[in-house]
Amino acid sequence: MILLGQQIENHFLEEVNRKSGSNVLECYQCGKCVSTCPVSNYMDFPPREIMQMVKLGLKEETYMANSMWFCLTCAACSGRCPREIDIPRVMEAIRHLAIGENADPDNPRVKQIRKFHEIFLDMIKRYGRNYELRMMAEFNIRTRNLFKDMHLAPKALLKGKIPLGHERVGRTKAIQRMFRMAEKLEETK
Amino acid sequence: MTTLTYFPGCSAHGTSEEFDSTLKLVMKTLGVQLEELPDWNCCGATSAHVMTENLALALPLRNLVLAERLPHKTMGIACASCYSRMKATKAEMDAHPALAQKINSTIVEEGTYKGNVEVKSMLQFFYEDIGTGQIKAKVTYPLKGLKVACYYGCLLTRPQRITRFDSPEYPMSMDHIMEALGATATPFDFKTECCGASFSISNTEVVLSLSGILLEMARESGAHAIVVACPLCQSNLDMRQPDIEKKSGITYRIPVLYITQLMALAFGYPLKDLKPAKHIVPIEPALAHIGEEIESPQKTPKSKKAVEAESEVE
Repeated sequence: MILLGQQIENHFLEEVNRKSGSNVLECYQCGKCVSTCPVSNYMDFPPREIMQMVKLGLKEETYMANSMWFCLTCAACSGRCPREIDIPRVMEAIRHLAIGENADPDNPRVKQIRKFHEIFLDMIKRYGRNYELRMMAEFNIRTRNLFKDMHLAPKALLKGKIPLGHERVGRTKAIQRMFRMAEKLEETK
Repeated sequence: MTTLTYFPGCSAHGTSEEFDSTLKLVMKTLGVQLEELPDWNCCGATSAHVMTENLALALPLRNLVLAERLPHKTMGIACASCYSRMKATKAEMDAHPALAQKINSTIVEEGTYKGNVEVKSMLQFFYEDIGTGQIKAKVTYPLKGLKVACYYGCLLTRPQRITRFDSPEYPMSMDHIMEALGATATPFDFKTECCGASFSISNTEVVLSLSGILLEMARESGAHAIVVACPLCQSNLDMRQPDIEKKSGITYRIPVLYITQLMALAFGYPLKDLKPAKHIVPIEPALAHIGEEIESPQKTPKSKKAVEAESEVE
């Protein structure tokens, strides 16, 4: 990056650009993404500010934000971005970099979101498919909130909305192998 | 007879069983055969791409490779999330052969990705491959009198460079299908706003807020029911509706139906085939509007300005 005629190294920006396939420097801070984003009011830094933080190379500060964990990848922002930046992929790139560097914002809501995704992936690893009831139960156990959504249970179960039984992929071994191989790829890059 | 490789997705055998069962009825009437993808696996949904880079591509890729073993050229996907992941992976694989090779190395036993199977959402298949004319021709019980808000959610039309289907801002395909069934699609501005998706479990209050706005806007549009083509949208709007009502103090009681449930009804299948018991918000009161006369435009009271303008002409 060149700032006031001086070459400044910004590895964070380069990494985010490489991973996302977008050029964050293109962002001219119009804020259309913020007004479009359905969850920007839950973020400590809305997408526009995250873009600026990446431009400035504020890596640690960006990692500590909850923004990329709240991004729902609804892609409303990228569809409206006048600079055609793929904002959800930028968010994703930051998230993956943060996970890779074990950066963990000490935020109870982020912890909940992460826990949910971990349980979901665990489910796929074990059965090859997801099983909603079991996932909800495990989420409650692992977040120590046993009675969350219990008021929904009688209705949902009686109505057969959520079935009790579940199925698995025939070749679960193939799935587990895929997980191992993908993890290895993740380490090598 | 057309045959489609059918990818149901995990929720089709769970919370969205009525989507799966009515889809099969509708396809039977339309003369389309479905062959379920053998040994399909979860596409990874939101979680895989949130947490990992390679697994997020490997999980959908296995399904794409399995689909290439079948002789059919299109894979129809019921769940909007599965559709989005599969389509995004396909786009990524087709654009970057080196990446495709790398990801393929995690599933060598299943085969090598060639990229010759097309991926479509069921909504896209109905609209592009069947067409509203064909759909209209099969209607034996027109849904005249029923007013519906067509809710597409995020993933059926976005991001457009990947889906290449309908408009990302104000899509009309589902509206046109509803009109073909005889129903009236209401002007619903929140067609592609997010319902809160997987935050249903991990951050419930976000869903109560986002889905609450959708219910409010659907009601303001005058709809008797909301129509969806995504299992997560359905469960957020239906299962969470009592909680939303409790939080906002407003009674909505707006049922949320799958597009295939209304198609099946219009094609003459009995109400019980729609599995009404699966719905948390009962669907019967909304369906009772079928057969009602729609108020003709003359009946609506004229605005002051219009009356003034007319008297001036006279």
